[in-house]
Amino acid sequence: MTAPANTVVAERPHHTLWGDAWVRLRRNKLAMAGGIFIILLALAAIFAPLLTPYTFAKQNYSAILQGPSWAHPMGTDQLGRDTFARLLYGARTSLAVGIFTQFIVICIGLPIGSIAGYAGGKVDNYLMRFVDVMYAFPDILLVILLRSVLGGSIFNIFLAIGLVAWVNIARLVRGQIMSLKSRDFITASRAMGGMGRHITWRHLLPNALGPVIVSITFNVPRAIFTEAALSYIGIGVQPPTPSWGTMIQDGFGLIFAKPYMLLFPAIALALLMLAFTFLGDGLRDALDPKLRR
Amino acid sequence: MAEIVIEVNNLAKYFPVTRGIFRQKKIADVKAVDGVSFTIHKGETLGLVGESGCGKTTLGKCILQLIRPTSGEVFFESKDLCELSDRELVPVRAKLQMIFQDPYDSLDPRYTAMDIIGEPLRIHNILNGKAYRDRVAELLDLVGLAPYMAERYPHEFSGGQRQRLGIARALALQPQFIMCDEPISALDVSIQAQIINLLDDLQQKFGVAYLFISHDLSVVRHLSDRVIVMYLGKVMEISNRDELYKNPLHPYTQALLSAVPIPDPAVELKRDVIVLQGEVPSPMNPPSGCVFHPRCYRAFADCSKIVPILGDAGGGHQVACLLYNTSRP
Amino acid sequence: MAPLLEVRNIKTYFHTQDGIVKAVDGVSYDVNRGETIALVGESGCGKTVSALSILRLVAEPAGKIVSGEIVFNGIDLLKLSDTEMHKMRGAKISIIFQEPQTSLNPVLTIGRQISEALEFHKNMSVHEGMQEAVHLLKLVGIPHPERRIYDYPHQFSGGMRQRVMIAIAISCQPQLIIADEPTTVVDVTIQAQLLELIRNITKDLNTSLILITHNLGIVARYAKRVFVMYAGNIVESGSALDVYHYPCHPYTVGLLASVPRLDEPRKIRLQPIEGQPPDLIFPPAGCAFQERCAYAIPQCQNEKPKLTEITPNHYAACWVSQKGSRPWQKS
Repeated sequence: MTAPANTVVAERPHHTLWGDAWVRLRRNKLAMAGGIFIILLALAAIFAPLLTPYTFAKQNYSAILQGPSWAHPMGTDQLGRDTFARLLYGARTSLAVGIFTQFIVICIGLPIGSIAGYAGGKVDNYLMRFVDVMYAFPDILLVILLRSVLGGSIFNIFLAIGLVAWVNIARLVRGQIMSLKSRDFITASRAMGGMGRHITWRHLLPNALGPVIVSITFNVPRAIFTEAALSYIGIGVQPPTPSWGTMIQDGFGLIFAKPYMLLFPAIALALLMLAFTFLGDGLRDALDPKLRR
Repeated sequence: MAEIVIEVNNLAKYFPVTRGIFRQKKIADVKAVDGVSFTIHKGETLGLVGESGCGKTTLGKCILQLIRPTSGEVFFESKDLCELSDRELVPVRAKLQMIFQDPYDSLDPRYTAMDIIGEPLRIHNILNGKAYRDRVAELLDLVGLAPYMAERYPHEFSGGQRQRLGIARALALQPQFIMCDEPISALDVSIQAQIINLLDDLQQKFGVAYLFISHDLSVVRHLSDRVIVMYLGKVMEISNRDELYKNPLHPYTQALLSAVPIPDPAVELKRDVIVLQGEVPSPMNPPSGCVFHPRCYRAFADCSKIVPILGDAGGGHQVACLLYNTSRP
Repeated sequence: MAPLLEVRNIKTYFHTQDGIVKAVDGVSYDVNRGETIALVGESGCGKTVSALSILRLVAEPAGKIVSGEIVFNGIDLLKLSDTEMHKMRGAKISIIFQEPQTSLNPVLTIGRQISEALEFHKNMSVHEGMQEAVHLLKLVGIPHPERRIYDYPHQFSGGMRQRVMIAIAISCQPQLIIADEPTTVVDVTIQAQLLELIRNITKDLNTSLILITHNLGIVARYAKRVFVMYAGNIVESGSALDVYHYPCHPYTVGLLASVPRLDEPRKIRLQPIEGQPPDLIFPPAGCAFQERCAYAIPQCQNEKPKLTEITPNHYAACWVSQKGSRPWQKS
């Protein structure tokens, strides 16, 4: 019971589980590229006024439907608005939708999933049947329905998308918690006198976090795309608030005459979604403890 | 004889087996623990021996009410724990602790050693700030780990060290009883001896009672004062340690002892091994009469018909076998 | 008569995130025909890796057999092509793993899994293979084998699954069987059954057996010669009687002293080996055991001892032993 028990594997570098994951994530070039792209885009969106002299609403009838030029790096649309400016301000919309919907998803999905997973039995049964019903609805249709009921402000868009997207997270969290429940360290906590709330907050949720983070990262591009789709069919954010979806809709009519009007927003949308997807893939690989080399 | 810490009366745990898609109908019971009674005294170690499926782990968890027994009583401090609700059990849990078999699974990988050991203190709101940190350092020292290791994470410790962390955690609230569920089976041989000595020392120091569950008979003999042998949810034999190993009465105990190889080739050359036939039967469908009779090399006709009761064979030695008159109902 | 298998100075290293793990660092042993030897050691000592190296089953690209020779029946296995090695595995040399759950395919019937080896190595048809499977299951003591060949692994208990593994291992009458901790996951009485079964079968078929285990009792009961491993090297070897009664390495001494014995009066206190096994990425200079050794002399810290003969056919890698003294021997 003396010093010899203390010869720790002290030679090895000291790293935490999160630190380990970060190292693995850094090695994944695509994920890093995705992450950097997102950060740059977010910065560009925030500092948009510094990057372009135009606002997204300023119309200039003397310069409609112009191709890319020095004055307008990405051209103008049918009302003379600068495309580049609209792209930047539209990024705000897309990113806001992507991120804020996830708050709603977490606020609804996490509690429902945790309660179902931890309580088990009848509670789990009823909650999951409810989830099944929600899951059975085609999500776009449900979003459209909610949007029509709630109205067109951007916060209602968040709500509409979020109220539909929480289902996957609920299922995921429930599954994670059910498999964690039988682990010895949970039994240990119970044996010490830990009750439901303590165990859930201290042990279950932190350990379930990994797959939840990954799932949310994949949810973001889906939310962004849903918003763009809504805007495309005209029931997304209302003009003059810019949205890449609206821009794509506008550009679609002129696809042969002025292809750049469609191209720029479409490519931007595709790149943003790819970026989140690569990041999500990278996170999943990094957070999986079994993949440690 | 020291005072009794825990008294178990006729404890039973049945797990229903159900079938059906919509309304689950019970078709059978898995009788994991089927009528077990014993007492544990202050500062004593009761060894619980048996093979997988005998119900020893379930029994241990039932005592701690981590699994709620189907019937029976568990008395601690004059209260029947089976009657207490989860909330009422919280203060009691401070005095009844547990150490686990798997050193890798029993610690939350996301917390430091300090947090893990200190969790019981947190749950019961004992000690804060400096007093808390001091207590954790004291516990680390008690189990032979250096104080700087409080900042490390479980994956940075070896198996034996993790087990020490688990023991430190169990000691945090100065329990009267610790249930040790195969605490050394997953460790290397040379580390096992370290942990056994540690458990021994701690018992000397603090007077904690242990229920030491293991399938390793040599280790049980070293640590225990009394030993219970279980098979398929029932007690086969209870005895003082020395008496059991010198004079095992139940054929199952004899087979168990014979099956353990002795680390000495000269001794092994001269030994005859009793090799039991067949497998352990499923607890869903236990044999009639004495549950051991299908594999027993001394079974006779009555063994399949009569269930032997745990009878007194003298000197604190109890056995449930029809070969001994005291076991006939 | 030349040994059936000679492992000569094998080094198997693994490349990991933190560095190179020298799992096996210059190990040599041999097995004669019909003989049972034991590789004893604790987790991380390299015994399993050395056995996997024999069959070239080391996980590439992380693991690699860096140097050495493995001579089986006069042929160096490390020089064979993949196809030729393929023909060896299961036919001439077979292996029984520790965990029958993960070694058996859950979606194939037991019969098909047994006959798989027979179809490949002996060119049997599926029908012939299944018939032979029945015969093999009977040999390993599984009741109603004609019915059981159509069952799946999950329908067998742990002990039964190990018997199936044994059946697969002997199906092509191998000359050598490697049993890697075959009974660690089963209970004591099942362990006795399985080991007796293995002993009888190897005696009947005159098969050599390499028994890998950490259980000193099993080694004493079943092995004729013993190789004790620690931190990737063999530290002592000899006949079982010699090694157990006159150990020449402090690690062996420590192991024997730390295990409680049923046939001796109860010791008041066990004598564990203090400390931890060394980190295989940063092994200490000199002897790998000296930090935990109660008998270390200054030389142990500087030079790594080589396996040398202490008494006839009894080898140890220890400076203290080589100098002729044995401070741990009481008599």
